[in-house]
Amino acid sequence: MKTGSHLNLLNYEVSITENNKLIEFVVKMFQKHNLFLIFSVDCMMDTNLQKDDLTGTIKFIPPLYKQRYQFIKDLVIKYKPKKVADLGCADCTLLWMLKFCKCIEVLAGLDIRENVMKEKMHRLSPLPADYLQPSERSLTVTLHHGSVAHKDPCMLGFDLVTCIELIEHLEAAELEKFPEVVFGFMAPAMVVISTPNSEFNPLLPGVTLFRHSDHKFEWDRAQFQSWAVAAATSYDYTVEFTGLGTSPPGTEDVGFCTQIGVFVRKYPKNGETVNSEKHTEHAYKTVFKAVYPSLKDEKYLQNAVVSEVLFGADIIKRRLLGNFKSEWKDHRDGLETKFKFQPFKYFMRRSKNLPLAETEKLAADRSTEPFIDGNTVYIPLAKIFSIPKVNQLCGTFEKLSKLIAGKVALSNDGSAVIVTIEYENEEQEN
Amino acid sequence: MTGRARVRARGQALSGAAGSAGQPGSPRRPDGSRGDEPMAVRTLQSEKEASTSCGHRETTKLTQRCFSGIPVKVITNLYSLGLPREWQLYQYHVTFNPELESRRLRLALLYSHTELLGKAKAFDGAILFLSQKLENQVTELTSVTKRGETVNITITLTNQLASSSPVCIQFFNIIFKKVLKKLSMYQVGRNFYSPSDPVEIPQHKLTLWPGFAVSITQFENRVMLSADVSHKVLRSETVLEFMTSLYTRTDSACFIQTCEKELVGLIVLTRYNNKTYRIDDIDWCVKPTDTFPKRDGTEISYVDYYNQQYDIVLTDLNQPMLVSRLKSKQNSTVEPRVVHLIPELCYLTGLTSRAISDFRLMKDLAQEMHLNPEQRQQRLSRLVDNIQRIKEARLELEMWGLQLGCQVSLTGRVVPTEKILMQEQICLPMSAGDWSKDMRNMKIIGVQPLDNWLMLCSNRNGELAENLLNCLKRVGGPMGFHIEYPRILQVQESPMAFLRAVQQHVNPEVQLVMCILSSNQKDCYDSIKKFLSLDRPVPSQCVLARTLNKQGMMMSVATKIAMQIICKLGGELWAVEIPLKSLMVIGIDVNKDALNKGSSVVGFVASTNSKITRWFSRCILQNTGTDIADCLKVCMKGAISKWQKYNCELPARIIVYRDGVADGQLKMVVDYEVPQLLSVLIELTTNYSPKVSVIVVRKRCIPRFFAEANRSLQNPPVGTIVDTEATRPEWYDFYLISQLARQGTVNPTYYNVVYDNSGLKPDHMQRLTYKMCHLYYNWPGLIRVPAPCQYAHKLTFLVGQSIHREPSLELADKLFYL
Repeated sequence: MKTGSHLNLLNYEVSITENNKLIEFVVKMFQKHNLFLIFSVDCMMDTNLQKDDLTGTIKFIPPLYKQRYQFIKDLVIKYKPKKVADLGCADCTLLWMLKFCKCIEVLAGLDIRENVMKEKMHRLSPLPADYLQPSERSLTVTLHHGSVAHKDPCMLGFDLVTCIELIEHLEAAELEKFPEVVFGFMAPAMVVISTPNSEFNPLLPGVTLFRHSDHKFEWDRAQFQSWAVAAATSYDYTVEFTGLGTSPPGTEDVGFCTQIGVFVRKYPKNGETVNSEKHTEHAYKTVFKAVYPSLKDEKYLQNAVVSEVLFGADIIKRRLLGNFKSEWKDHRDGLETKFKFQPFKYFMRRSKNLPLAETEKLAADRSTEPFIDGNTVYIPLAKIFSIPKVNQLCGTFEKLSKLIAGKVALSNDGSAVIVTIEYENEEQEN
Repeated sequence: MTGRARVRARGQALSGAAGSAGQPGSPRRPDGSRGDEPMAVRTLQSEKEASTSCGHRETTKLTQRCFSGIPVKVITNLYSLGLPREWQLYQYHVTFNPELESRRLRLALLYSHTELLGKAKAFDGAILFLSQKLENQVTELTSVTKRGETVNITITLTNQLASSSPVCIQFFNIIFKKVLKKLSMYQVGRNFYSPSDPVEIPQHKLTLWPGFAVSITQFENRVMLSADVSHKVLRSETVLEFMTSLYTRTDSACFIQTCEKELVGLIVLTRYNNKTYRIDDIDWCVKPTDTFPKRDGTEISYVDYYNQQYDIVLTDLNQPMLVSRLKSKQNSTVEPRVVHLIPELCYLTGLTSRAISDFRLMKDLAQEMHLNPEQRQQRLSRLVDNIQRIKEARLELEMWGLQLGCQVSLTGRVVPTEKILMQEQICLPMSAGDWSKDMRNMKIIGVQPLDNWLMLCSNRNGELAENLLNCLKRVGGPMGFHIEYPRILQVQESPMAFLRAVQQHVNPEVQLVMCILSSNQKDCYDSIKKFLSLDRPVPSQCVLARTLNKQGMMMSVATKIAMQIICKLGGELWAVEIPLKSLMVIGIDVNKDALNKGSSVVGFVASTNSKITRWFSRCILQNTGTDIADCLKVCMKGAISKWQKYNCELPARIIVYRDGVADGQLKMVVDYEVPQLLSVLIELTTNYSPKVSVIVVRKRCIPRFFAEANRSLQNPPVGTIVDTEATRPEWYDFYLISQLARQGTVNPTYYNVVYDNSGLKPDHMQRLTYKMCHLYYNWPGLIRVPAPCQYAHKLTFLVGQSIHREPSLELADKLFYL
């Protein structure tokens, strides 16, 4: 494993070990994130890659691309947009990071390279576990294949549109249409645009013209800012500039490595509907769409409520039949005398106000006690409704009745959940 | 069993090349061993041909068709792929000049030549699969990168694969994985599930995900898709919630111990990624507020990490950590990485041991999971429907010229019902599944009277013991089993008291010790069994007091106990007609030792008379590392000498049923075990060459069979044999349904004759196997495997669970482990 290999990668001489991780890492840096260093890396036995081992003239910790994503994530946490679109989403890493932000309900990605987008788009699908306990919020993730030079109504009504290291990849004709499409047509509440700052390039060894072969241009601060101010002015936005990646001491005057413009729409949200009527034609192709399971969806809400109701009813039944009561009592005695176990304090807290204890109290107030008739247990809906989880899920008593109708066995007048007692005989062969 | 497993079962190395062919994202094997597979196949087959010179299918299966039994039409869960006969997959090797490191770039450059390659292509960076042949053997292409660099691409044809080739089958399996993904199903383990249509079992906090096990296999005449319904069991609560409720149910003093016992070994699914982890340990000292080093060397607390990364707020900052060792992919020398998982963010999959022993839970689960043939068929139809209806899924197949054909139906045969031979009478069972009623009042073949025996019970169960004794005497009479009054010992209510009484009172004259246990305490049972199998070998019978408390059931309970006792004394209950003389039948099963996971328990049970009513049982423990073959030699010698002692000759025929063969071990059985078994026979005397057959028995197999009756689907009748179409071309094999399924869909048992020089017609081999399923004395009815296999299984179970050592050979003549 110790054989170092040389590969000529995008014109940079790279000396690395045959460590897949490292190769991946380097390739990633070069290809996607415009890193631009000459690495000289000694063969490492350690498989845990330490970035400090990469000795270059300039390096950013964390890597600049991560800083850019984090910048967006921080904005999202601060402003809590509901609908976010990433233009030039590439392998969807930013979208993947954003899908965990609980404020977001709609996520969209757009890229001109369909294959790159498709490669890792499965990361945007709901996880199997998302179905086990569907979340409160709804989330839809969509990926579109298309160009930022074209308008498509699917991009209307967004709160935040991000264009991370996108504009420098645009041809002149596309760049010309870009402000009209993003600011004029999409007109989101906020736009973030980042692009390389060419003034920084002399500090980057090996960079002759542009940081990446696909870059059509790289602007200095004045160029970017004048373009941005012009766009902001004509579409009624304000713009503020910032950046990421500071230069070494003594060279501060070159500015940030990545320059960023944050645009905020001045006028309140309106007029989108008019726009969408004008452009009903779809220019993008949808390549991926995922709707996350959510309690906002009646199907999942009903499922969750029915489960909680049946689970609660089962506990009440067992308690009524005596098994549970003794169990519960034993447990409480145990708690008082034997509790010595400290690290797991959670239990103490929890067991002191177990849902059941609450249920009991609430139910007693309303005098809606469950009862047994023959081999059927009747549990009044009011009692069921007082189970905290059920209460929280349904909100209103009417909603509860509606959701469990037809799914849970009810008494003739519909006022109580009924559970039949089975006297099972346990067979055990020996 | 999936395609992968089966490919391995046939002794073919998994192809790294084929494995990654259709799936650009899958990791490539570093060794890149490509093209070795056909060699491996050939080697195996030639070896097999050599070793089974007389027994191979050319001479048996194909030339001698089976005709016995009544034909029955059965529908299978197999689907044809609609491949034209001349269909081929073209495998190309692709090189780039200058070489390109980036796989993505290689992909992009090659795929830019759409007009040449067509739509159906799969490329992993080096190997390209096409559904149509390129004009030339070697095709040269030129591409220009975005940076203006010219790259020459050379595409060389390396292989033309028929649909039956292993690489191609692997390839189909990958295609179908993609198809199922297109149906919005998720892969968990080997199978695919739909989490969006869960079945909830709220009273146990369980969720079932319906899904399918799908695989492509080369069957008798063609490659077919097999589909079976599968369910994933999950807990719809987090591990933390599970721990909390466990805590409220158990004694806090032993909570840690109980919790670890319940959780360690289970698989969890996390909330934030699509991975599953095995819980190897629980770390009670690490809390979510503790920090861990990130990859860049900075320290971060678990709370902050999950908050920053996934916007998840942990509610319990005192929960312990689940510990999981990650399997290192590359080499085992590197210390495996250990990860800490937060219980609050994990969901349990599968069932805990407590859940499995929860009778009510299992019953509720079975209600949802056991589908009858009709329901099963509905699910399968829906799957096929979806594949054909959903465009993306269908296109994935059509692209390669595949289409999901119709469900295969075939003709099986139902062999005649066996007569059960008692001492004087012949019993013709009404139902082959259970003939306990039919043989009531019939005398069993034979047993010595029970004169000298002990009965142990606790003080408060004295009455129960008397009661049982009366019943035993009453049922014993008609059976022809004479039971004397035992010596009854009343002891204290403690495990130690029972053992002490046994130690004190058991002497070599005692024929049997019966213990009436008050509770299902394992250690008490274990200690009695251990002492009476190792230190003072005497057959023993344990009965739970609870079983004897059931009113109105006493007579049937007593009948069962009486029959068990007869077996444990070495008696014979019933027989079937065996047309072959001097036939020895052997059953072998292998199990794990519950205490010592590193060792396996090998059970070997051989018949010692021509009627096949008496057995020699031997059990050997050994490290899993060593070959089973060695101990088989010892067992085989013992069995032969026992036979010689009782019959004054050597057996003319030997049939070995080998159960407990894991997915990848078939080759090992053929290559090592069979020769070892044969070598014993050769070494015996010079002129001795018995006719030997070795049959691998598998309780789990891919095909399912449904019979049509009254316009609905039902389980085929017992005795149904299938030996066409659903069988494999390279084996001498058949399916036999030998058990009555009361619930759900019957699972046929798969028999694979891996060695045979007996000259027996397949028809006779099948009939004989069916007869063997009638001879398990612990159940008056048919069972799903030949009786010696079930005996071997019982034996290994007792040893693996309770005794953990080799039982005394003095007991070898008795079915002491029933």
